[in-house]
Amino acid sequence: MSTASIDFRPFVEWDNNPFILFDPKGKILYLNNSAEILLGYVSKKELFDLALAYAPQNFGYKTTSISLRYEAFNFYSITVGYENEEQLAIRFYNAPRLRNHTPVEKEKLTLTDINLLLEANIALFKTKNSNPLQLLTDPDMPQLRIDQNRFSKLLRKVLESFRASDSIRIELKLLVGEHVIIDEQKISIAQLSTTANGRYVDNDKEIKILSEECNIRSNLQESSIKLEIPLIA
Amino acid sequence: METFYTDSPQVQQIIQGLNLTRTLFVSSIVIGEPHIGKKTLVTHLFPDIPVVSGENQDEVEAILEHSDELIITNFEKLSNKENLVFDNKRIIATADYIGNQKTIDSLFAFIYMMPTYKERPEDLKHLKTRFLEEAAATLMLDASSYTLSQLPTDLTQNSKSLKRTIYHYLMSRNMSKKEIEETLYTYFIEHLEGNNGYKEYVGMYERPLIKAGLEKYGSQLKLSEILGINRNTLRKKIHEHGID
Repeated sequence: MSTASIDFRPFVEWDNNPFILFDPKGKILYLNNSAEILLGYVSKKELFDLALAYAPQNFGYKTTSISLRYEAFNFYSITVGYENEEQLAIRFYNAPRLRNHTPVEKEKLTLTDINLLLEANIALFKTKNSNPLQLLTDPDMPQLRIDQNRFSKLLRKVLESFRASDSIRIELKLLVGEHVIIDEQKISIAQLSTTANGRYVDNDKEIKILSEECNIRSNLQESSIKLEIPLIA
Repeated sequence: METFYTDSPQVQQIIQGLNLTRTLFVSSIVIGEPHIGKKTLVTHLFPDIPVVSGENQDEVEAILEHSDELIITNFEKLSNKENLVFDNKRIIATADYIGNQKTIDSLFAFIYMMPTYKERPEDLKHLKTRFLEEAAATLMLDASSYTLSQLPTDLTQNSKSLKRTIYHYLMSRNMSKKEIEETLYTYFIEHLEGNNGYKEYVGMYERPLIKAGLEKYGSQLKLSEILGINRNTLRKKIHEHGID
């Protein structure tokens, strides 16, 4: 069967694996939806350098097994290829996400203003710490269903990790274009990111457990903790 | 409803936290030494929530089964904390000490540490004024005759010891000779026994008499004249009672 008349672009466009096409100077000629989100976490230059480093010596394609992590993105392999001097393509292969085995019991969750819980936790933190703390939040964040007590415990543990940090910055925002599927429903995601110059890691195990119990994806880095909270309505 | 007053930034943060969560189903605990206003604070903020002491284990369990909100005071006195389920309930507890940190940590989302009056000088001043006014009203005295700085500040048992010493201070300064005699009489009725009672108890008059006299008149010579006793006798008594 001839495939010449088939337009493959939508398949690339909606592929969950990021795909980017560069020109020889590193300018982006094309990127799919997934790559657009990826560029929110890593610079264009870094990805171009990566493509150059793993490009095949001659025209063609080369796939390399390589473990890459950019915040929430985890890749196990990349393919870099070019068919002419003008275009260099890179495709990233998503590592399988660990499935969360905690079932969502909606009837046990309460519709909650997340900003309220956040403010209460900051008030608690301030009774024990005088570190400067900056809160950037989205007042229009929709209410979400959550186990208020458990989520508060999680927030307490997260903030406690920054008990000796300077200039703590807490940011709550909607991750535009990112979704998670829960009970066959597409659910938007809010990201709560807490960043400072450094942090304690003694609560990390509990943070991971509590996050999982709340169906939240946690990303714990050396100086930041990011929670991806499904906005279950 | 009990009133609660604070100027302490730390306690104001606790109030802010509790107020923010008042509509949420979360569990909070306020921990701190006895008699620092924990129960007054939470009952003031949540006047409509039933209050049960942790000493009444059965009552706590019974209310938890049917109600979704409860104030538990003396939480440290509950013996089966590990088996409690606070899911989707509004629980506010107070405790004199943490006890098992792990249990508290797993049960409560909000753990507030309430500072003592020693750590809240702003509140101490307010509390002393309140106790002075209360004691003066009870004892039918004029509160304005006293200044806060002259009142004793015994915080060994926080507000409990402070209140006691302020009452005691006011009473001791307003007793008539007859009332002092009555007090001594009551004391002796209860305590007098043995075979050396005179020597043992005579110091109860002599010691304050000589101490106050020395403070008031400055010298032993002058005091011996005032008391109408020999200077050597006075010196002997000063030595006997160990007065500096």
